[in-house]
Amino acid sequence: MSLDARGVTHAYDDGESDDERSGDTPGVADGGTGATPVFRDVSLSVEAGDVLAVIGPSGVGKTTLLRLLGLFARPTEGAIAVDGTDAWTAAERDRLALRRQVGVVFQEANLFDASVGRNVEYGLRVRRSWRERVRDELRGLVGDRDRPEAVREALDVVGLADYVGQDASSLSGGEAQRVAFARALAYDPNYLLLDEPTSDLDPRNTAVIEDAVADASDRGIGTVVATHDMNQARRVADRVAVLLGDGVVEVGPTERVFEDPRDDRTRQFIAGELVY
Amino acid sequence: MLPFDALAVVADAAAVPVVEFPFESRYLLSTIYVSLYVSVTAVALSTLASVPLAIGVGFSEFRGKRFVTSVINTGMGFPSVVVGLLVLVTVSSQGPLGQFDLVFTKQAMIISQFVLATPPITGITLAAVTGVREDVRDAAFALGGTRADVALTVVKEARYGIATAVLAGFGRAISEVGSVLIVGGNIAGANGVSKTRTLTTAIRLEARQGRYELALVLGAVLVAVVLVVNAVVVRLGDSKTAGGGLR
Repeated sequence: MSLDARGVTHAYDDGESDDERSGDTPGVADGGTGATPVFRDVSLSVEAGDVLAVIGPSGVGKTTLLRLLGLFARPTEGAIAVDGTDAWTAAERDRLALRRQVGVVFQEANLFDASVGRNVEYGLRVRRSWRERVRDELRGLVGDRDRPEAVREALDVVGLADYVGQDASSLSGGEAQRVAFARALAYDPNYLLLDEPTSDLDPRNTAVIEDAVADASDRGIGTVVATHDMNQARRVADRVAVLLGDGVVEVGPTERVFEDPRDDRTRQFIAGELVY
Repeated sequence: MLPFDALAVVADAAAVPVVEFPFESRYLLSTIYVSLYVSVTAVALSTLASVPLAIGVGFSEFRGKRFVTSVINTGMGFPSVVVGLLVLVTVSSQGPLGQFDLVFTKQAMIISQFVLATPPITGITLAAVTGVREDVRDAAFALGGTRADVALTVVKEARYGIATAVLAGFGRAISEVGSVLIVGGNIAGANGVSKTRTLTTAIRLEARQGRYELALVLGAVLVAVVLVVNAVVVRLGDSKTAGGGLR
């Protein structure tokens, strides 16, 4: 049971959005075929219960790597495999099933204009048949609709169980991000991808999210956290992958990478001597 | 007793000059009915066509997308008289729909208003769905949504913009004079019951005949109808700001 990037090289093609091009990946000469790859030959693996931190400076391609792992886009070269199945050679229906094993939390909460409960329930709802969903909506119209217990459990993990009926737009930034985490947790994914999940949060909300990551790990969820906060990587991760230049320069156990880096660029990056 | 009758009774009792309303209540009611029947039907049909069209255009990338968007936007300002003329030619005995004998019928008016309402509903809906942040689409996708789920989520997020689009289409349809006059003929029966006479064409007729009081009363009724529809949409908006989003 693992989520793997196997020899992944990625350059943007014309089908990808401007956000994907500009969000975290400067240095791409042009968006067309033949553009300079964001990174080359990246191989990573996260197993059940494992927490892998991907660290590197802003703009190195961490978000792009997570989007590839989340099957948002097909890598230019290489493969993304979920539990041993190459997602991009699988049939579309199978790829959807693989994608549904992966939860993603973005840097921004990106909540829907709906209640907290409805946001958290979204992942569960889209997994139901259309018939069940229509029946559920009709029940909602007459006020006879129960929320799945998983919604309350997921909100409980982030300490917001009492917020289930609250309008998502009324939440603070920290609360919204915690709801976003609960939303990804509610449908019990096998893997979680967290893209700078606490970069805009205060210490209290950061601690809640980090505790939730530990909780997810205890439940056997494999987690990839992209962060430029090296202290956070040390706090939450079992292993660290260092993304520098155009690829991963080092992967290893967290303490070993920070205390005894084997690559000179890793040492310089950790020491703050490497400037991008 | 209808409001106008009541007004006359009150005015008479107070011995003040009374504005005479030389039309029967069924004339007024049937005119309102024709206006609402034609406009609501046309807007409902247009919404069924426009929303999927706007989502299709908004969600896909294809050669000529900018051109299609320009055509939709240009359609918003398309002269209604020209639309009426084209529809009349289409439904006339020589036209492609001639066999259905639709000239001077409510159905022809619905076709005409459908053509007029579709560009604003499509254009404003397109702006609403493309205005939904890319992040929201990403979130729906990341949570396991299919393309249909993502599209449905975008529609929900854009629901107030879409409601505005429908309102704009309704506004254009019910306030329309030129095309419904051409294809409908502004017909009322000898018994005073409107066949294809709408509030707008009735106002035009009364004004042309110098019966300005009647034209003004019909105008007030028309404004009241539009206000009621607006109030419904504003009420929807209020429920949102009061925290009444999707529960």
